[in-house]
Amino acid sequence: MRKSLIWTAALVCLVGSAAWAGDTIKIPVASPFTGPLASFGEGVKNGALLKAEEINAAGGINGKKVEILLEDELCDPKEAANVATKLAGDKDVAVVVGHLCSSASLAAAPIYKDAKLPAISPASTNPNLCKSSPYYFRNVYKDDFQGAFLARYVDEALGWKKIAIFYETNDYSIGLKNAFVAEAKKRGLRILGEEAYTSDTTDFTPQLSKFKMMKPDAIFIPGYAPQGTLIVSQAAKLGMKVGFFGADGLDDDVMLKNKDAEGLFVTTPFLPDAAGPEAQGFIKAYKAKYGVEPNWFAANTYDAVGLAAQAIAKAGLDRQKVRDYLASLNSPDKAYKGVTGATYFDKNGDCLKAAFIKEIRGGKWVSAKKQIQ
Amino acid sequence: MDLQNLFDMSSLFLQQLVNGLTVGGVYALIAVGYTMVYGVIELINFAHGEIYMFGAFITFHLITVYKVPFFVAALVAVAACAVIGILLDIVAYRPLRNAPRLAALITAIGMSIFFQNLALIKWGAQIKSYPLEALPPFFSDVAVRIGDVQVTWLQVFILATTLLLMFALHTIIHRTKVGAAMRAIAQDKRAAALMGINVNRVISFTFALGSSLGAVAGILVGVFYNAIWPTMGYIAGIKAFAAAVLGGIGSVPGAMLGGVVLGVAEVFGAGYLSSQYRDGIAYAVMILVIVFKPSGLLGKAMIQKV
Repeated sequence: MRKSLIWTAALVCLVGSAAWAGDTIKIPVASPFTGPLASFGEGVKNGALLKAEEINAAGGINGKKVEILLEDELCDPKEAANVATKLAGDKDVAVVVGHLCSSASLAAAPIYKDAKLPAISPASTNPNLCKSSPYYFRNVYKDDFQGAFLARYVDEALGWKKIAIFYETNDYSIGLKNAFVAEAKKRGLRILGEEAYTSDTTDFTPQLSKFKMMKPDAIFIPGYAPQGTLIVSQAAKLGMKVGFFGADGLDDDVMLKNKDAEGLFVTTPFLPDAAGPEAQGFIKAYKAKYGVEPNWFAANTYDAVGLAAQAIAKAGLDRQKVRDYLASLNSPDKAYKGVTGATYFDKNGDCLKAAFIKEIRGGKWVSAKKQIQ
Repeated sequence: MDLQNLFDMSSLFLQQLVNGLTVGGVYALIAVGYTMVYGVIELINFAHGEIYMFGAFITFHLITVYKVPFFVAALVAVAACAVIGILLDIVAYRPLRNAPRLAALITAIGMSIFFQNLALIKWGAQIKSYPLEALPPFFSDVAVRIGDVQVTWLQVFILATTLLLMFALHTIIHRTKVGAAMRAIAQDKRAAALMGINVNRVISFTFALGSSLGAVAGILVGVFYNAIWPTMGYIAGIKAFAAAVLGGIGSVPGAMLGGVVLGVAEVFGAGYLSSQYRDGIAYAVMILVIVFKPSGLLGKAMIQKV
């Protein structure tokens, strides 16, 4: 399975780097663009290209056009390391936007660190990422925040007290689960059981059958949408009547095609109808260009590319200077003001961002009636 | 309280058994394809997992693009996969019939990768699901409910189809002329040819038979999990191959038994031991059997032909 995907990835990389042009500023965007998580990558790609188009329409960076290089790594840590090595060796690259999956970012982080190449992840939420390298930044919240936020929401807004957890064996899912459990225990929620699955699993019935006997109020799925949609369907087939909730990894339109996912709650870093006035222009432009509302991957990548472009405009194409510039955005008044709110970094390169809750009602994503701070 | 606990435990056991039999039945259907082809030409047809994937995707294509009713689409897909199986043999394997066995094996792996990528180009990488309105509505109805255990008609359908096909296969192999020819070729290809058996035609028939069963498995899985994707044949193929080896490669009843044992071991492993290591547990069972009985559960120890 992997082999065939590697060829596809290699092909995409070749085509990507063949688009060589002398007088442009290259900003690579690394994410899965094919494979099971391709639909996440769709938002990343759209957001990045829209931002680049807008920067170029406004005259580019100091007169030079921005060129987005789409680097496909399939959310696979091995592929991510390959992409990172390639980018680290490219002298024209001063900053990377990526990666999407936490496991991919964690695999790429030491390579960027060795090459002193700064990277901004628009979507990796594993708590350990930015701590591990002074060259890694992100404009998304961390899972210790997201997990605790979810536990609070489930407790305060939904009143679910008995929770079963069904997580994937990757860095994102495990980090999120641990954060959730820590906060849930503090609040006296009962964790009835924790079960794991690997990303190539299609049959979830043994674990769900176990959960069924425990009679939980809800099942927490801190994983990704391709498996999430299978889990909720198979639970319905087993005759389970429980609530489901997850984090931003389930925030994908594939869930909307599944009638069993009705009533699913997820956290998300960006909600079009809860977004501030600064986002309205972006939402309009995005809808005009792609015909759909931007999801959080699109919004965060749009901002990450903006941040990268601003850093290059201010610090030039020197990797160390770009890194130092990004690190200097360390207080609210120096923050980068994007469509997802203000982004400024703490000493690790992490940032504080708001989380929102949305749910599936009538086959559509809508913001949950009750939001908490 | 204790009685309630006991009741819960036993109904969980029952539920897991049903889950395991469903998965195992599907493995068995794929595994007989491996084992039959191995029986007649001593080739492990690694592209067999992709035939299974094609079964699921051709059905999907017919349902969504041509709006064909489900059962008709499924039958057409099964027939199409039988033809693909025959063509696969004629194009890729027949020219290598007298070449070293390694050449045919590598070709099989190559065909597997080729088919996967063909499907990737045609249908894209993302997971597809059958539109619910196209499926027979009784599938999701509950057939049997005992306490907390429930079995849907779809599960009954999967198990019944598997049993029926296994019975039909057994009849074909043991009660028909072509079945006798298959068994003869499995014993000695040259002698069979000397007895006037059209060897190539029987091999084509074997591929058609194995491929149709694989296609049925693909369709059943696609409906049961409501998800199909171009690389779905890879893992399923490896598992079914393991099942065939577990049962004794070359033995049809062995493949059936191996499939069921592997499916049940996997589900019980995930349900009672550790869900992270479900595949590991399934393979450990296989290795244990092979260590103590190298010819597999029902395989006959045979002297290697020289």
